[in-house]
Amino acid sequence: MIKYIVAALMLGGIAGYLDANWATVVNSVWVSDYLLNASLILLLFVMGVAFAMDKGSFSKIRQTGPRILIVPLAIVLGTILSGVVSALVLGINVTATTAVSAGFGWYTLTGPLVSQLFGAKWGALGFAANFLRELLTILTVSLMVKVDKYAPTASGGATAMDTTLPIIVRYCGSDTLITAFSSGFVLSIIAPFMIVAIAALGRVSIPPFL
Amino acid sequence: MNFVLLVVPLAAGMLLGYFLREKRKVNFGKVTLGIILVLIFSLGFGIGSNSELLNSLPDVGLSATVIASLAIVFSVVLVKAVKRRAGLK
Repeated sequence: MIKYIVAALMLGGIAGYLDANWATVVNSVWVSDYLLNASLILLLFVMGVAFAMDKGSFSKIRQTGPRILIVPLAIVLGTILSGVVSALVLGINVTATTAVSAGFGWYTLTGPLVSQLFGAKWGALGFAANFLRELLTILTVSLMVKVDKYAPTASGGATAMDTTLPIIVRYCGSDTLITAFSSGFVLSIIAPFMIVAIAALGRVSIPPFL
Repeated sequence: MNFVLLVVPLAAGMLLGYFLREKRKVNFGKVTLGIILVLIFSLGFGIGSNSELLNSLPDVGLSATVIASLAIVFSVVLVKAVKRRAGLK
């Protein structure tokens, strides 16, 4: 199945590139926004039906309860740590790398927000790093599920509530739906606050990047 | 992405599924795979048509890959470490 996903991604990328740079057949917003949202809404609906039809699903939630929030909190902690380690590995500013990581894969938020807080170059890094988090989650899901059933949820970060959710559920099973969705939901709420908070904490001068 | 736009269809689907639970099992596999591929295609389309992103990749690509990979690895390790406490098997 990952073959089809990679093929669809590449075909989409090529079609989008040609459409934007060669001959505009459709307004790119129609595909990258409307078609994306329509398919997402339809998928969420179908996944909801499949989830509720499985008689064990609700009792599993009742067993877990609010403890399920430990998952997004672990992801927050892991991501902050990774921001610090990234700064050490790359030799660039720790405030910026941590803020970039705190997008949890939500690149349409992180790009503009980091750009506003730290400047355009950092914004580009915020966009690319979070976009790659989503892309790598999609491409490695079949490997990651072997590491742990909840590894793709962790990897997906904020995207586990939308773009990567269908793939996570498909590979990890219908019972991961609530864990993945709630984790992505919590991270999506936390992300903008955390990026701003990190920027405020590190209100030292940010050296120019590159 | 608007949260309402995501929560409403999920909740509506669950409600419908709840009332259909006595009916025979339906296999959603083929349908969802089809829609997933449409979703991934439009995701790719958005990337391919975003020249700003494509132009910035040569400059920031390596740093972005390091940041994204480390974020994934650390998140996975920590979730794996605490998932028992979260009541997950």
